Amino acid sequence: MFNLKKYRKRSPWILHYNAGSCNGCDIEILASLSPKYDLERFGIINTGNPKQSDIFLVTGPVTYRSRERLIELYIQMPEPKVVVAVGSCSCTGGVFRGMYNVEDGVDRYIPVDVYISGCATSPELIIDGLVKGLEILEKKTKSMEKPSKLFKDTTSREGIVSRRESALRVGEERDEEN
Amino acid sequence: MLEAVVVIIAPIIGGLIYGFERVVCARMQNRQGPPLLQPFYDMGKLIDKQALIINPYHSILGIMHFVTLWVVVAFIILGQNLLYVIFLHLLSSIFLILAGFSVKSIFSHIGANRELMSVIAYEPILIMLAVGFYLINGSFDISVIRDNPPQILQLFFLFLAFLMVIQIKLKKSPFDATEAHQEIVGGVEIEFSGVFFEFLYMAKWLEYVFVYLLLSLFAGDNLALGFGLFIGVFFLVNLVDNATARIKINHLIKIVLMIGLTFGMLNLVGLSYV
Repeated sequence: MFNLKKYRKRSPWILHYNAGSCNGCDIEILASLSPKYDLERFGIINTGNPKQSDIFLVTGPVTYRSRERLIELYIQMPEPKVVVAVGSCSCTGGVFRGMYNVEDGVDRYIPVDVYISGCATSPELIIDGLVKGLEILEKKTKSMEKPSKLFKDTTSREGIVSRRESALRVGEERDEEN
Repeated sequence: MLEAVVVIIAPIIGGLIYGFERVVCARMQNRQGPPLLQPFYDMGKLIDKQALIINPYHSILGIMHFVTLWVVVAFIILGQNLLYVIFLHLLSSIFLILAGFSVKSIFSHIGANRELMSVIAYEPILIMLAVGFYLINGSFDISVIRDNPPQILQLFFLFLAFLMVIQIKLKKSPFDATEAHQEIVGGVEIEFSGVFFEFLYMAKWLEYVFVYLLLSLFAGDNLALGFGLFIGVFFLVNLVDNATARIKINHLIKIVLMIGLTFGMLNLVGLSYV
């Protein structure tokens, strides 16, 4: 039969969400879509629509106001999907870590597959991270993924709540299902 | 027999045109662009994706839009009545508009509204086009139109008006307010996902086939001229798409109705008195 999974990494469509970023990483994402770096040669389109996208690009340290939108957008994306945290803020909180109004990274709420570091991150790194995300996308199944804050146990290390382990575990379970 | 085969592979031809267009657009912007078969990769991915159904009517109306459009394309290829073709095409647009209004999303409603307004803008031009062909050939039958010599010179002003209809139908700048990708997130297509978006995506390809088949009617029995028209208009449409910005929907109606209706009436009056 046809193996439809191989088409996943040939046409990943992006949803880009700014969870309280300073706009630096957003500009770099748009730069990587521009003629010089040309992400469209991988078949990537920047759709603004969660219902038709495969890769969720999140920038910013997740402010309190953006939390519900973040989870809402994540739930609205159909499976299979990959979450890419772009920039230091969305990986760990960056310079905003520990502030009263931010949540120190995307992985407190949704499982992240690829972390792209840098403040602001460069278009080359974004392209590398997206291509890495495509490998993960190919392995995923259609089974429903749950927002981790709501359904998973938290792991606490030195008083800091981290979602990173549980996020990794989700990916491993997927491999076993395949 | 050949016509039946062409009808069956019409969506594939449309997909190839769409893929080629994306490459041409990329080259015009000095980019490498996606591969030629990119629309088919997208299709393979969309089949495999989870489909979220908002309500059954919404999904069914999307499929109906695709099926009706395929019937329209089949009618043109088989050489049926041009008026039937235009009104059936209107029906397929109505299905899409109903689908847009059947969900609660505000962007879907805005998109459906704009779709309806663009129908108001381009439908009179299409009907005048049919009347123009009737005045020359004495028949609405596409097979008769195809047997007669090229009519582009007699219908030159209608041809100019039809160029604007192409921009609206293919959702190209400056007349792409109906879809408006970053502004209202695709309009009517916002709530479709997975397999159901697939049908809308293929309907978009069929729209290409429909528009360029109508364009080829201007060439009559001259196949080379028809092909030349297709190539020329194809590049012109993409050049204008890359060179212009989007205009508002009320300006779209004003511009298309003012210029298009004037050109169309001018052409029809000229045909009946000269």
